Amino acid sequence: MSPVGGLHDIGVNTPMVRAPWDHLRLLTSHRFLMSNLVRREVRGRFKNASLGYAWTVIEPAMLAVVYYFLFSLLSGNDDILYAVWVLIGVIVWSCFGKTLQATVGSLTRNASMIHLVHFPRAIFPLTSTVSNIILSLLSSLVVLPLLVVFDVSVTWRLVFVPLAIGLAAAQAIGLGMLLAPFNCVQQDVEHMVRFIVRAGFFLSPVMWTWEMAVERGGLYADIILINPMVLPITLARHGFEGTPLDMGPEALVFCFAWTVVMWVIGSMVFASKERGAVKHL
Amino acid sequence: MTDLPALQLRNVGLTFPRRRGVRALFGGRQSTDFVALEGIDLEVKRGEVLGVIGRNGSGKSTMLRVMAGVFSPDVGEAKASGRVSLLASLGTGFAGHLTGRENAMLYGSVLGRSREQMLDLMNGIIEFSELHDFIDEPLRTYSSGMRARLGLAVVSALDPDILLIDEVLGVGDPVFKEKSKKKILDMVGGAGTVVLVSHSFGLMTSICDRIVHMKGGHIDFVGEPQEAISAYYRSEGVDLEVSA
Repeated sequence: MSPVGGLHDIGVNTPMVRAPWDHLRLLTSHRFLMSNLVRREVRGRFKNASLGYAWTVIEPAMLAVVYYFLFSLLSGNDDILYAVWVLIGVIVWSCFGKTLQATVGSLTRNASMIHLVHFPRAIFPLTSTVSNIILSLLSSLVVLPLLVVFDVSVTWRLVFVPLAIGLAAAQAIGLGMLLAPFNCVQQDVEHMVRFIVRAGFFLSPVMWTWEMAVERGGLYADIILINPMVLPITLARHGFEGTPLDMGPEALVFCFAWTVVMWVIGSMVFASKERGAVKHL
Repeated sequence: MTDLPALQLRNVGLTFPRRRGVRALFGGRQSTDFVALEGIDLEVKRGEVLGVIGRNGSGKSTMLRVMAGVFSPDVGEAKASGRVSLLASLGTGFAGHLTGRENAMLYGSVLGRSREQMLDLMNGIIEFSELHDFIDEPLRTYSSGMRARLGLAVVSALDPDILLIDEVLGVGDPVFKEKSKKKILDMVGGAGTVVLVSHSFGLMTSICDRIVHMKGGHIDFVGEPQEAISAYYRSEGVDLEVSA
C-alpha cells in the first residue's frame, strides 16, 4: 500500500503476465484475510449442526459401511479391501470436484463482498481451495480406524493420502480460476461444471481401480492416464496399503504438467477478465 | 503536497453490460451497454467532507465504488492518496453465522489490517458500537441499526485516510446518528477525508463542506450544500422553498 503523500491509481490489478506468480504469493501476503475467509467458509458448512466437524468423518465412515455391504457382501468381490478403495476414491475425487465447483462459483458467491471492498480477487478461489483441502483432510481421517479394522500395517507411505488430496485440489484450481470470470457472465458454466464432475466420477478410477483397467488392457488402459485424476486417486490407495506406486513416469509428468499449465492459464485469464466480470455480478 | 487532493477522478466513465453474453468479456463496448457514469471530473480535498446527493440510480453508489476500487473505470482515471475504505451496508457481505467479533476481524482483514492490529482495536470497536455482550452473538441476530453501528465502529477504528460512506447512517437511531456525526467530524479534524452518500439532507448540510449533485451518471452541480440541494430540487422540477 503506498503511503499518504502520492496519488496512486485506485484498485490496480495484477498484470496478466505476472499473475501466476503474484496470485501464488497471496497465500503468504494475505494470510490473515485468507484464514478469516477460510474460517467463514469451513464454519458455514457446519452451522446449525450439533455434530459439526464430526460430519466430515461420520459421512465417509457411514459410506464405508454401505460400500462394504454393496461390494464385499452383495456382489461378492474377492478383494476384501474393495470398499476401502472405493471410499478413498470418493474422498480424493470429491476433493477435486468440490474444489472445482467452489472455485468456479467463488466470484458469484462472494458478490456482496466484492461490491464492498477491493482486494486481490484471486483470494476467493484460493480460499475455496484451501477450505476444501482442509475438509477433505478431515474426511480422510476415516482411513485411520479402517487401518485397524482391516488390519493393515501403517507405513511411511500413509503420507501419500494427504499428498493425494493436495494434488487433487491442485488439479482443480487452475481450471476453476479459468472458468470463474465466465461464470459471472453466464451461470450456465456452473451447471456444466456440475455435469463434468458427475461424469468424471465414473470416468475416473473411483468405483474401479487403475490396476483393474491395466489388467483388462486394450485402448482404454492406454488413454486412461490422460485423466489427471488417475494419479492422485491411485496414489492415495497405495498410501493406505503401504505399497509403492508402480505407475510409469509419464503419469507423474502428465499430472504435474496439467497442474502447472492449468494454473498458469487459469490465473492469467482470471487476472485479465475479472475486472469486466465483476460488473455482471 | 499541501494542495494534493485526497481523491481525484478525471473524465471517469463506466458502463455496465446489459446483455449477458460471454462476448462482453472479450469485445469492447456494446451499443446496449448502460452508461452508469460519464465524464466525471471531481477532486476531493484532504480534510474535506463531501456529500453526494441525487435520485436513485443517478450513479452515486457507482461513483463511490469507483473511488473504492471495486469497479475500474472504462475511461479516465481514478487516483487516491492514502487508504480508502468503503462503508456500505454491512451484513449482506459478511457472515451471518459468525459473531459480531468475528465479523469485525473479517472486515478488518478485508481492509488490509493484521490480526494483531485488530486485537488491539477490538475494545474500542465494542465500546463505540455499544453492542456489549451482543458482540459474541451471530450477526444474523442483529438489527439493521446494530449492523450499521458495528460497521461504522470497525471502519472508523481503522482510521482510514479516506472514508466513503454509502447510506448507512440512515438506519441508526437518533442517538447513534449524533455519535456518528461527531465521529465523522473528528476524523476530518484528524486530516481524514469523508465522502458521504445520503438522502438525509439535514445531516448533509450540517457536516458537509461541499455537496455534489448527480443526475443520470453526470455531475450536475458541485458547491455549497444549500445550493446543491436547491439544484437537486430544481433539476427534478420540484418547486420548493428550501428552508434549512
